[in-house]
Amino acid sequence: MTAETSSTSSSGETILDSIAEAPADHYRVLKISDLDGDKLCELSQFMKLSLSKEDMLAVQEIYKEWGREPTDVELEVIAQTWSEHCKHRIFGATIEHEVDGEKETVNSLFKTYIFDVSHRIFDSKPGFVLSAFHDNAGFIKLDDEQAVCLKAETHNHPSAIEPYAGANTGLGGVIRDILGAGKGAKPIGSLDVFCFGAPDTGMENIKADDVLHPLGIMRGVVRGVRDYGNRMGIPTISGAIQFDDSYIYNPLVYCGTAGVIPIKDIDKEVGAGMTVIAVGGRTGRDGLHGATFSSAALDTESHEEDQQAVQIGNPIEEKKAADFVLAARDKGLIEFITDCGAGGYSSAAGEMLEECGGTINLDNVTLKEPGMVSWEIFISESQERMVLAVKPESLPALQELADLYETEMIVLGDADGSGILKVTHHGETVCQLDCSKLHDAPIRKLSSKWEKKTKEIEPPLLSNAGESLKGLLSDFAIVSREPIIREYDHEVQGNTVLKPLAGASGDAPQDATVLRINGSKRLMSMGLSILPEWGKTDPFAMGAACVDECVRQLVASGADPDRLAILDNFCMGNPDDTEELGALVETVKGIAEAAEVYGAPFVSGKDSFYNYFETEEGPVSIPVTILISGIGIIEEASHVTGSSLRRNDSVLAIIGHTQSQLGGSVLARQTGLENAEVPATDLEQAFASYRKYYEAIQQGLILSAHDVSEGGLAVTLAEAAFSGKAGLEIDLCSLPMDDDASKAAMLFGESPSRIVVEVAPENLEKLSDLFEGLPFACLGRAAAEHSSLRIEWGKETLINEPIEELKSLWKNGLAQYY
Amino acid sequence: MEERPCAVLLKFPGTNCDEETARAFETVGFVTEVIPISVLKPESLVGVSLVVLSGGFSYGDYVMAGRLARLVTEQKVGETLREFRDNGGFLLGICNGFQILTQLDLLPAGSLVENTSGRFQCQWVTLENKAPDSPFLSHLPESFEFPIAHAEGRLVTSDASETSAYLESGAAALTYSSDVNGSFDQIAGLQDESGRVFGLMPHPERFLYRQDHYDPDWSNGSEDEEKWGSGYYLFRSLYESVTSDEE
Repeated sequence: MTAETSSTSSSGETILDSIAEAPADHYRVLKISDLDGDKLCELSQFMKLSLSKEDMLAVQEIYKEWGREPTDVELEVIAQTWSEHCKHRIFGATIEHEVDGEKETVNSLFKTYIFDVSHRIFDSKPGFVLSAFHDNAGFIKLDDEQAVCLKAETHNHPSAIEPYAGANTGLGGVIRDILGAGKGAKPIGSLDVFCFGAPDTGMENIKADDVLHPLGIMRGVVRGVRDYGNRMGIPTISGAIQFDDSYIYNPLVYCGTAGVIPIKDIDKEVGAGMTVIAVGGRTGRDGLHGATFSSAALDTESHEEDQQAVQIGNPIEEKKAADFVLAARDKGLIEFITDCGAGGYSSAAGEMLEECGGTINLDNVTLKEPGMVSWEIFISESQERMVLAVKPESLPALQELADLYETEMIVLGDADGSGILKVTHHGETVCQLDCSKLHDAPIRKLSSKWEKKTKEIEPPLLSNAGESLKGLLSDFAIVSREPIIREYDHEVQGNTVLKPLAGASGDAPQDATVLRINGSKRLMSMGLSILPEWGKTDPFAMGAACVDECVRQLVASGADPDRLAILDNFCMGNPDDTEELGALVETVKGIAEAAEVYGAPFVSGKDSFYNYFETEEGPVSIPVTILISGIGIIEEASHVTGSSLRRNDSVLAIIGHTQSQLGGSVLARQTGLENAEVPATDLEQAFASYRKYYEAIQQGLILSAHDVSEGGLAVTLAEAAFSGKAGLEIDLCSLPMDDDASKAAMLFGESPSRIVVEVAPENLEKLSDLFEGLPFACLGRAAAEHSSLRIEWGKETLINEPIEELKSLWKNGLAQYY
Repeated sequence: MEERPCAVLLKFPGTNCDEETARAFETVGFVTEVIPISVLKPESLVGVSLVVLSGGFSYGDYVMAGRLARLVTEQKVGETLREFRDNGGFLLGICNGFQILTQLDLLPAGSLVENTSGRFQCQWVTLENKAPDSPFLSHLPESFEFPIAHAEGRLVTSDASETSAYLESGAAALTYSSDVNGSFDQIAGLQDESGRVFGLMPHPERFLYRQDHYDPDWSNGSEDEEKWGSGYYLFRSLYESVTSDEE
């Protein structure tokens, strides 16, 4: 993606100079009709358009049909619109896929596995999903009056180059997505999920110049999220961190935000005669080419050259714009709204005017610096801007609100019903595009391949299970994120009922988090799952298990299993590598199958490609990584259920079956088991259990519930006991499990679909009856007489460790690095 | 029907706790009005019983927390606020509002500076009620919990003896029961001599309901009011003080 030296001829004339005519200082006409494919490619690289040769040829063809040459503004607009970042062309591609020798053709991953699956679910639950895929975020029904939504995005490339600013604007951007969803949703809670290299990575293991150390990236990213979320007054309530060497060069930064809106304000439409306005920050040269920058790989030069693609956020500017938007919505002054994200005004106005058409006048744009040329103004991704379509007669009332909240409002242009996107600047038309043409990018053709990598292996012998448990509790994959969580205001807005930390001293782990929603008796739960270790050997299993874990967290916290919605956010390395793409295809199939069985529709998603880096030792790609995040509706406050042990006279039971496979587990990684088989998810049985669990919730039988995830059952039990309220007496003799499950699998295997529940002794029988025919067993009891975690297997004591000691390992594991 | 007292909440660009703070006041019986600073005038305070500066990051707090908000407030209604207090009005500052109030010289001298941890701290803390007669604290027990969420909550004075004098005089109405952020004498909240101006770093509005507590088994010990969290009792105290004053 860098300018090649060959782009400059010996005379110093660039490819651009050689074909450009400048009718005025602020724009150029580019004569592309005579260029061959290679020259077009060179031009794309020189202008940093990130368009392929096929794309450039398609553009050339369009202009030949029109009988004219493009302006630089038009080419930039097309590049933005067709960029992977905006158009998700790999998810729309035709893929020749081969798995274990069997061939198939996938016509659009998105349509086949996301859109169609979700629409079948929408149809089976009429009136529940109120909007999906076409808006900034999808909405599900909370109650008769209000709907909730969730949107997650990645900001990986910017965070690699400038972690603070990259993460800062990453969260700022997804908050704007919510403000621009429907006629303006109110942001009510955020999540952040990061993948970094290990904090203790040795400098000698970083094989490229100018790459930031993972610790520097982590600190910068956390502070970036903190300073945006806290200042906006949106609680950051949910998150996760994964550490793996494969993320050293390409850290992943996922930011998500949930919102709430009155149902009547979900539908929006642009009509001829409406005025297009913008509010918020001014437009500058910062953030040029962010969308196209995100659609190419990183290398050392990126660190030097692409600084202008990264910006510093200004959360107060956005807070003022947010106050304006929500007040304007409540007064009924907004007809259509969207955020200015990737592609700036070009994609916001493009989205708004793609059907209707209209004119944008760049002379009205207030600038941060003088002398900006047309294309720079139109595609600048300067932060904190929202674009609205309003009735002309609403302008005075809107101006009054802008003055009230001290935000700047400008009139950009109007919608005219012509179907043509026209941009004027200094009295000249610098862009005139038929919007319907604009959105027809060539369909990419790709091929992919996946071969089974796993094999049966001997489980490790545990000489001392207590020591193994301590090793796991100190693993970066499991340690407490408390030092980071406390830097985020997770209680602003005063509605965080189930907080990210729980227990008698407020420092024990929590699965899902729960928000009260103003004006409703119902609540919203937020959960997530990310299991990249699984995907290295079995991407299909990773996909299914991620959906399972996210759904399980939501259900465990008290959400109705039939009222959930999920998001898919993919990151991967090089899609042109058949094996990497094969892993992606398998992951997508995995999430689709699980979503369909669970009836958990995808309502929004996003993908990030080219997360690979050219090091001294060749390219390093991240493993295909999927974040499944989700929201669920909780019927009433009494259903809210936390993850922490509450009593010292209660009984513990397990829901779900323990399998013998150890693949993907933290134990497997610690003990160096390679290519071990990964547990599969029995989707039908799992979902039947979740529905029974929900009946138990409705009957008030569950005191607390903790999902079994990283570290397996022993870690789950320890974590539940970190509430500090009691010791635990556990016996695994009746654990529902595979006959050949080893001790390692019983204690530390990570089979999905399992929940440890705490129940009052008098309710155990009722609960047990409810789970008739499903895997369920009593495991033991909370102990008032001691404060240790004791796990026995018949007569053998597997673990007997003081909980305080275990907790201190878990609690302080990350603290020394953050 | 009795007239409900009116609380006005000032909103600066970056103020972000006004909505839940207004909710808390409405819950105990106030009518509330959130007034953006751009339209604040001396007349805005006519007929008002209580002025509230709620939490957030006024103007981003990029300079010292509350600094810019103090300048704007002083210029717009500085004199009016002092008259308002002298005429029996109540003033409450929470978190960023406390930071602004100290800078407006409406509270005993002191500055709220960066926590000794150097970090933003979002956590629950135990507090000691040192002024049970305060109109803001009368319904609160000797010791209770509120959440905090701040990076600059360390109360310092030019001379450490000043804060011990605050403890003796009762100006230090609220203290942390342990060293949370390096505040001199663990001071969490201050009141002025009249008792009608009060500022605190913790957020009572985030503990309005019992269910807001991180421990689902927390109880306020009174069965008939088991719905409420400790924060409720601060707002309740204030409501009763304001309404009995007006009688």
